[in-house]
Amino acid sequence: MAQSNPPFMSGVPELLLLRLLDQGEMYGYELVRSIRNATGEAISLGEGVIYPVLHGLERNGALKSRRKPVGGRTRVYYSVTAKGRKRLDKLQTDWRRIQNGIASALEAPGYA
Amino acid sequence: MPEPNFEQLQSDLLQAGIAARHVRRTVSELREHLDDLIDADISAGNPPNVARQNAVRRMGDLQEVALAMRACPELRSWSYRYPRIAVLVYPLTCLMLLPAIPVIAGVAHAPQVARWGACVLLGGIVTAAIFLFLQLSITLA
Repeated sequence: MAQSNPPFMSGVPELLLLRLLDQGEMYGYELVRSIRNATGEAISLGEGVIYPVLHGLERNGALKSRRKPVGGRTRVYYSVTAKGRKRLDKLQTDWRRIQNGIASALEAPGYA
Repeated sequence: MPEPNFEQLQSDLLQAGIAARHVRRTVSELREHLDDLIDADISAGNPPNVARQNAVRRMGDLQEVALAMRACPELRSWSYRYPRIAVLVYPLTCLMLLPAIPVIAGVAHAPQVARWGACVLLGGIVTAAIFLFLQLSITLA
């Protein structure tokens, strides 16, 4: 299984999934592959663990799903709802604030 | 890495109180995911047995999925989220459904019930005819 970094992963899968699904509907396998590609494999989610996150987001109304038969298989495609977009905006804002804070701290003379 | 045991995962999740629809869908999505991983590895040139091993390794331990689902209270069935309400609602629902059970059973087995009714009616007519014959025999003798 791909290595993960649990202490730093809180909220990250949610952010990545919402960001990717904001660009268009995808199914689980496609999402895992896209996360791997989009993050240059810096962030590798446990492949099965993505589904509880997706179901949780759907249950909270951030995502909606539909079944679609593709090539003899029935895929469950997920897409972002209006509520999900608001959640994504909030998560992005929070993440950028934390990112800037850490960058400032690392650049500060005390950390040099 | 051992083969993923989806049946065990399904059983564990149901026992943990995860709603059945989430359990069914998660297991089905995981199976599809494994198949996709195998297909991708075969397309990359690996033989099927190696592709399966690689796919199983990438899927990881299904217990992690079970743990992640248990950590999401919103995925639990409502009776696990609101046990006190469930304790009230389930018996009341059963009590309300109890009188309907014979009706439902009758509708579900309508041809058998009709045959039984016809047999009882025929038996009644034959019995009445015998009694009538006996009564007439006594009266006219």
